[in-house]
Amino acid sequence: MSAADIFFYILAFLTVACGVMVVANPFSRNPVTSAMFLVLTIVFMAGLFILLNAFFLAAVQILVYAGAVIVLFLFVIMLLDLKEEERRKVKTIGAGLGTIAVGAIAFLIGRSILSYAKTLPPTELTLQGSTVALGRKLFTDYVLPFEILSLLLLVAMVGVILLSKKDLK
Amino acid sequence: MNFSLISLEIAVVILALGVLLGDLWTPAQHKRKLGYAAAAGLLLIFIFSIFARKELFPSGGTEILADYAFGKMFVVDGLATFFKQFFILAALFVIIMAAEFADRIKTGIAEFYSLILMALAGMLFASSANDFVLVFVALELITITFYILNSFQRNRISSLEAGIKYLILGAVSTAFFVFGLAFVFGISGTTNFSELHSLLSTNPVLGTQPLFLAGLFFIFVGLAFKLAAFPMQVWAPDVYQGSPAPATAFLAVGSKAAGIVLLLRVLFIAVPQVALEWTNLLIGIAAITILYGNLCAIPQRNLKRLMGYSSIANAGYLLLGFAALTRTGSSAVLYYLAGYLFTVIAAFTVIVLVTRQQDSDDITVLAGLGRRSPFLAAALTLAMVSLAGIPPLAGFFGKFLLLKAVVEQGASNTAYYVLVGVAIAGVVMSLYYYFGVIRAIYWSRDPNDLSPIAISIPTRLSLGVCMAGMLYLGVNPEPAIQLTKAAVKVLNIGI
Repeated sequence: MSAADIFFYILAFLTVACGVMVVANPFSRNPVTSAMFLVLTIVFMAGLFILLNAFFLAAVQILVYAGAVIVLFLFVIMLLDLKEEERRKVKTIGAGLGTIAVGAIAFLIGRSILSYAKTLPPTELTLQGSTVALGRKLFTDYVLPFEILSLLLLVAMVGVILLSKKDLK
Repeated sequence: MNFSLISLEIAVVILALGVLLGDLWTPAQHKRKLGYAAAAGLLLIFIFSIFARKELFPSGGTEILADYAFGKMFVVDGLATFFKQFFILAALFVIIMAAEFADRIKTGIAEFYSLILMALAGMLFASSANDFVLVFVALELITITFYILNSFQRNRISSLEAGIKYLILGAVSTAFFVFGLAFVFGISGTTNFSELHSLLSTNPVLGTQPLFLAGLFFIFVGLAFKLAAFPMQVWAPDVYQGSPAPATAFLAVGSKAAGIVLLLRVLFIAVPQVALEWTNLLIGIAAITILYGNLCAIPQRNLKRLMGYSSIANAGYLLLGFAALTRTGSSAVLYYLAGYLFTVIAAFTVIVLVTRQQDSDDITVLAGLGRRSPFLAAALTLAMVSLAGIPPLAGFFGKFLLLKAVVEQGASNTAYYVLVGVAIAGVVMSLYYYFGVIRAIYWSRDPNDLSPIAISIPTRLSLGVCMAGMLYLGVNPEPAIQLTKAAVKVLNIGI
C-alpha cells in the first residue's frame, strides 16, 4: 500500500464520517452543527481531488462550496432561527426506511465496484485537470452546455427575486 | 458550424428575454396581454419550424438524416424535429392558458410567461441532446424553472408546498442522474451517445460491466422522475394539486415529453445493446406504474390531484412502448404523446376557466357546467373520454397502437401477455374515475350559480384546436403515424 492509498483511505473515511454527522448527529440536533460538518465533508472531499491531481477542482471546491455556499447556509439557518428543528423527534419508521434504502444502494454500488476492481489493471495517475486544459475544453467542446448554464442562472435569479421580494408589483 | 441548427432555441430564448424586457414598458393593466404577444411569437416560431422540417426531410421523411453541431453534442434529426414542434405547440397552449389564469397570479405575470419560455428552451435543447453533459444541463434548466413555476402563487401555502416537494424530489433524482453519469463516464470514458453506441458495438464486454449497468439504471431513475414513472412517481399528485394550473399542464405535457425523448435517446440510441436486455425490468416498471396510477386515482375527489394520478397511469402506458423494444413501439409512444398533448391541455384549460370564481379544485365545481357552458362541458368530456381510451378519439388509437406493439413481441417473452393484461385492467379501472368527472358535469345536482362562463377568443381557439386534434388523430390516424414512423427511424433498434 502506497502513501497515496493510505491518504485516500483516511480522507475517504473522514468524508463519509462527516457526511453521516451532517444528517444523523447523535450529540446535537442543531442545524448549525450540521452545516459545520458539511464544511468538513467538503474540505475532505477537496483532499480527495488533490489525490487525483485535480488541483483546480480542489481549489474551487474549497472556495465556492466550503466558502460561499456554506456561509449562505449559515446565514439562512441563523436568520430563520430553527429552534423547532432541535426539538423535533426523529420518526423511527422514517429513519429505519432511510437506513434500509441507503444500505441497499450502498450494497448495489459496493458490489459493482468490487467486481469491477478485480478486472482493472493498475494505472499510473497522470495530470489531466489542469486549469488551461479545463478552460480550453469549456470554451470549445462544451461551449453549448456552458452557455445554457447562463440561461439557468438567469432563471434562478428571476425566481429568487419573485419568490422572496416583499411585495412585487 | 451551422448556426441554423439551433435557430429555434435562439428564437425562443430571445422571445423569453423580450417578454422579460417588455414587462418594464408595459403598464400594469396590459401585462396580461404580453402573454398573447408571446403566444403569437411562438406561433411564428412553430410555422418556421415546419419549414425547417421540410428542409431536413425534402422527400417526406423516407431517409435517415442527422445534422450534428458542437462536436456531435447537439443533433437535429427526425426525433428532434418532432419533439421540438411538440414542445413549441405545448408551450403555445400553456401560455394562452396562463393569460387566462393571470388574475390569480398576484405578482409577476410577465415573468411567468418568460419562465414558461425558458423551460421550453430547455426542452428544445433536451430533444436535440446527443451527449450526457448537454442532457444534464438541459434537464436542470427545465427542472429549476419548474421549481419556480410550481411555487408561483406564493400567497397560497399549497403552491409553496408543491414547489418544495418538487425541489426535494427533483434534487434526489438529479443526484441519481449525476451519480449514474459518473459511473457510465468512468467505465466507458465518453459521454457522447454516438461514441457510446460504437464503443458498445466493438466491445460487448462493456455492456455487461455491473458498474456500467448500475450507472445506466441510476440514469434511468433520474429520467423516470421527469416521466412520473415508478420508482419516482410519488411527487406527482401533491405537486399537480398545489401548482398553478398552467404550470401543472406544462409539467404534465412538456416535462413528461422531455423525459420520454431523453429516455428514447439514452436507451435506444446510446445503449440499445443494454436496453434489449432490460425487457423484464421495463415490463415490471410499466406494469407497476399503470397499476399505481389507476388504483390511487379511484378515490380522488380533487380534479388536479386526479390528473396527477392519471398522469402516472399515462406514464405507465407510455412505458409500454419502451418495453416493446421496437421502433413500432417507439412510434406508438410518439403518437400517444401527440394525443395526450391535446387531451391534457383541453382538460386543464377547462379547469382554469371553471375554477376562476370558486377557489377550489374539488370535482363539485363542475356541477352544472353542462348548462353554464356547453362548449367547456363538451371539451372536458371529450378530454376525459379520450383519456379513458374510448374510440374514436386519439387516446383510444394511441393505446391500441401501444398494446399492438407489445402483443407483437409476445412470442419472445410471455411476460408481455401479462403486461397487456395489466394495461387492459388499468384502462377498465380508469373508466370509473374519468366517467366520474363526466357525471359531475352533466348529472349532479345543479348549484345556485348557473351564470354562463365567459371565454376569451384565444382560449376558445386553443380549445377548438385541441378538440379538433383529439378527433382528427382518432379518426384519421394515418398521417400522424407516418410522421412518428419517420421520427423514430434514427433509433438503433429493430422494427
